[in-house]
Amino acid sequence: MTTPRLQQLVGAVLTVGTFAGMAVLALGLVQMVAAGTGPLDKPFPPFEPTRLLPDLVALRSEGFLWLGLVVVIATPAARVLASLVGFALDRDARMVAVAAAILIVIGVSAYVGAGG
Amino acid sequence: MAQLLLLMVGGAAAGVFGALLGLGGGVLIVPLLTLGFGLPLRESIGTSLVCVIVTSSSAASVYLRRNVANLRLGMTLELFTALGAMAGGLIAFALPDRVLAVMFAALLMFVAATMALGVRRAPEPQPEPEPEPQPEPELATAPGSDPSSDATRIPRDLYAASLSGPGYRVRNLGPGIVGSLLAGVVSALFGVGGGIVKVPVMNLVMAVPLRVATATSNLMIGVTASAGAVVYLYRGGIDPFVTAPAALGVFAGASLASRLADRIDVRLLRLLFVVMLLFTAVQMASAGLS
Repeated sequence: MTTPRLQQLVGAVLTVGTFAGMAVLALGLVQMVAAGTGPLDKPFPPFEPTRLLPDLVALRSEGFLWLGLVVVIATPAARVLASLVGFALDRDARMVAVAAAILIVIGVSAYVGAGG
Repeated sequence: MAQLLLLMVGGAAAGVFGALLGLGGGVLIVPLLTLGFGLPLRESIGTSLVCVIVTSSSAASVYLRRNVANLRLGMTLELFTALGAMAGGLIAFALPDRVLAVMFAALLMFVAATMALGVRRAPEPQPEPEPEPQPEPELATAPGSDPSSDATRIPRDLYAASLSGPGYRVRNLGPGIVGSLLAGVVSALFGVGGGIVKVPVMNLVMAVPLRVATATSNLMIGVTASAGAVVYLYRGGIDPFVTAPAALGVFAGASLASRLADRIDVRLLRLLFVVMLLFTAVQMASAGLS
C-alpha cells in the first residue's frame, strides 16, 4: 500500500468516524430536548461503560450522547489502527511499532483515567 | 432550549473563528463555557478537548486526502504528544481550579501576543496552490544517497530522514520529541490542540515547511486530545449535556468556515481576536484570583 493510498484510507476513517459521531450526538440531542432535559441540568449522568447498552436499548438520551462522545473520542484511535494495518501490509515494522505504541498509550490513559 | 441554542451558536462561533485562524478552538470554548455559562473549569476543558477532536478529525481528513500532512512524521511525534497529554490530564485533576484559571489566562496572553506578532508580520494570506501528490518516502532520499544535496543539511539520524517528505528533510528529531511532549501536556491541561507549540517546533526546529507542519499538527491534535479526553471522560470531566451541543456547533462552524475563508479579511479577524483574547485573559485571571 503506497503512502498516498494509506493517507486516503486514513482520511476516510476520520471522515466516517466524525460523521457517525455527529449523527449519534444529534440523535441524543433530539431525545434530550424531547425529555425536557436542559444542557446545564445537574448532576449529569456519569460515564459508565456498563450502562451504555441498557441506556441505548431503553432509548435514553444519555445512552446516545455517551455513545456519540465515545465514537468522537475513539475516531483518532481508529485512524491509528487503520494506519497500523496499512503499515503492516507494507511490512514497515518500525511504523507498525509506532502505531501500536500510540494505541497502548491511549489504552493506558483510559486505564489511568479510570483510576487503575 | 435557549441555553441549548446558545451553546450551539457559541460552539459554531468557536468553530468558525478556530478554522479561519488555524486554531483548534479550545482557547475560545473554555472561556465561553467558564465565563459565559458558569461551568467548572475542568468540565469546560473536557468539553473543549472533545470539540478539538472534532475539528482535528474534520480538517485532517482533508489534509490527508490532499497529501499535505506527513502521516509518518505525525504518528512518530504523536506518540509523545499522547504521553504528554496523559500526564497533562492527570496534572489538571491535581491542580486547584484557581491555579488552572490563572495558568489558562497566561496561555491566552501568550496566544494573543503570538497572534499580534503575526498580524504585524504576516502578509495578506494568498490562496495556496494545490499540493503535488506526496510520493512514497524512501530511504533513497536519505543521507548520502543524493549527491546534489548539501552535506551539512543531511540529518544524521536515518530514522529522521525516513520521515522526510518531498522537498524537505526532517532534522532534530530529539528536540522535536521534547516539544511534542510539552505540546501534549499543554493540550490536556488547557483543553487546546497544542498547535501553538507543535507548529513552531516542527517548522523552526525540525525544518518542516510551514504548510506541512500546520497540516501535520492538525492530524496529531486528534490523538493528543483523545489521550487527554479519556482521562477527563473517566474522571467525570465531560458533561454530555453540554458537550453534545457544543461539539455539534463546532462541527457546523468549522464546515461553514471553509466556505467563508475567501470572503473574510483574516488580518482584521486576527486583530479582533487578539483584543478578545486579551479581554478574556483578564476575565479568567480575575476569576482565578478572586
